[in-house]
Amino acid sequence: MKKILVISIVLLLAAGSLWAAGKKEEVVAEEFVATEFEIPFLNCLTGPIASIGEYLQWGAERAAWEINQAGGINGVPVKVTGIDTAMSPEIGTVEMAKLSETALVAMGPVPEPVIMAAMPIAVRSGLYSFTATTSYEYAMQFFPWSISWFSPTDKKLPPVVTAWAKKNSGMKNVVQFVENYGAWPGMAKAHVIGLEAAGVNVLKEIEVPTDAVAFGPLVVKALAENPDGIIFAANAEKVAKIILELQSRGWSDNSKILVFSSADDGALYTTGGSNINGVMIYNYVDPGLDTPRWQAFREAFKADHDGMEPFSLSPNYYDAVYMIKRAIEETGVTGDPAKLKEERILIRDFCNNVENFKGLFFDWSNENGVPKDKPLFLFEIQDGQKVLVEKVVPTNK
Amino acid sequence: MSLPLYYYLAIASIYILMTWALYLPYRVAHLHFMVVANMAISGYFGGYAATQWGWPFGAALLAGMLIGALLSWLVSFGIGDAPTFAVVIVGFTFIYITKTAIENWDLIGGTMGMFGIPMVKNLLLYAYLFVLVTGIFIYRFDHSRLGRAASAKFVDKDLATSFGVNTKHLGMFLQTWAGAIGGACGVFYAFFMNSLFPDFFTFHIIGTTMTMLFLGGYTTMWGPLLAAPILWGLPLILPTSIASWRQIIYGVILIVILLLRPEGAVTRQFIRKIQVKLKLVKLA
Repeated sequence: MKKILVISIVLLLAAGSLWAAGKKEEVVAEEFVATEFEIPFLNCLTGPIASIGEYLQWGAERAAWEINQAGGINGVPVKVTGIDTAMSPEIGTVEMAKLSETALVAMGPVPEPVIMAAMPIAVRSGLYSFTATTSYEYAMQFFPWSISWFSPTDKKLPPVVTAWAKKNSGMKNVVQFVENYGAWPGMAKAHVIGLEAAGVNVLKEIEVPTDAVAFGPLVVKALAENPDGIIFAANAEKVAKIILELQSRGWSDNSKILVFSSADDGALYTTGGSNINGVMIYNYVDPGLDTPRWQAFREAFKADHDGMEPFSLSPNYYDAVYMIKRAIEETGVTGDPAKLKEERILIRDFCNNVENFKGLFFDWSNENGVPKDKPLFLFEIQDGQKVLVEKVVPTNK
Repeated sequence: MSLPLYYYLAIASIYILMTWALYLPYRVAHLHFMVVANMAISGYFGGYAATQWGWPFGAALLAGMLIGALLSWLVSFGIGDAPTFAVVIVGFTFIYITKTAIENWDLIGGTMGMFGIPMVKNLLLYAYLFVLVTGIFIYRFDHSRLGRAASAKFVDKDLATSFGVNTKHLGMFLQTWAGAIGGACGVFYAFFMNSLFPDFFTFHIIGTTMTMLFLGGYTTMWGPLLAAPILWGLPLILPTSIASWRQIIYGVILIVILLLRPEGAVTRQFIRKIQVKLKLVKLA
């Protein structure tokens, strides 16, 4: 009797296990339906560049809001989640490590110190991340798991600098102020290529110390070279102060001053005021563009920022969210965690070679993670506004 | 092991070691910030040796320690017995000089940084073995005649001298040792991060490790061991919504601890109490 009981229990257990296994298979076979596409954004929301982080975040969230208003990605809502690294490389590594386990795609990190620390983890884990604010030279270190938002510096910058030099035909000798930070010295080198192409001689490079507070001696050193043009690759506030110092020592022709894109920041205009009227500046976006999409973005930004104009990097992660949307829609990505590895690769390969992407300012295409045909814009500053002077399209060749 | 835990433990080991590197010279009242410069120099050396000359991690670590020790030893001839303020100034100056030199040296990446430092298998294990060995040495030092001499110097330099303590040699020894630990930290950091950037080694490391030292307790080696993983882990577990209050939270914790326990959370009396409770020592 006891034997029969034991056999019955064993058979019951076996039958139960088989039934459970069959049930499990049924569950696996069911099609995965995403309830939300979450895009984590490794950003700097606190710390020394929190204000920049805020407007990058704003752009990304604005895109998500617009997409959701229009029905989401394949009908699924999208959410941008800001993850604060406080500009700490150490925090960046742990946060990227967390994302590497579950995220379908990521945005960031911001800025270079965190990129350097965290991107090797993304590469190792096969997580594609949008490094949309750094230069090509940083992004390319992590290809194909990162995307460059800009062409190689020595290809993209020289044409716009040449264009500036040609507008000042009498200009023959230039002094360049350079601050040693990240990609800026590389950008300064690209300026020299552009100047040489226009037959302009670079007399001297004046290093602007990162912690400089007084600029008189630097300006005296520059003016001693007797230049007829000045070009800047330094922080916005320092650029404005150096221009004021130049003017106090007799400099009068502002059109022969060229400021690089990274100094196109609020501090340049608030510190420089009307004294920088006529100064030339180049950047990657044209705020004077008259399209409904840009105007809606601009008005929304101003409404949320006490009337302030959007900063030049604000659209970068806005466009990144739209690029992810297009990648998901056109590659049939489902967000199924079971297919994480292959769907990450689908998004990566699509974005790295996207064709005719409709950006906020212009359409562009990528080739192996590098934009082929993004333009640059040369502006003249007038009363805190940038007035377009010329649009330049560099080639990567 | 999950990747986030791996990196949490990796950075925790660096912070423990760097806080110990500050703790050791502080035993003779020296705030030896030069260890951050040692960390940077050895980190870059290790990274360069691995990427350009193909050195294995062990060789890079050993060389990094030697470079850190050598630099600190040379400088200690000047500041081995200097007042705290002078040691602080020398430390700041070295950090500044080192950062500027790195930024201007294209061979090691300049302002762009250094990429492609290879991964090392079992690196976390090596890091904690290093923590263990360093901890044992510090424990032995703290309980030796030299450790008691350092305590005497911390309280009163003249008194220590009258007891026959050579305060300069003692200061030089501790600064050199701290330099070696700083150098090792730089090499570990380089291999954990697989890349280097000049801004990795700036004043934020001083701020963080100082907080760990003074919150944890600067009178025993256990304070840094306790405080480093907790304070480093805190920003990682704070919800994003209150992350912007991180600095205020740190500040409040620092003020409360310093008001309630000026010597930090773990003091010698506290350790003694625990030892008595665990019956490791008899009550005198």
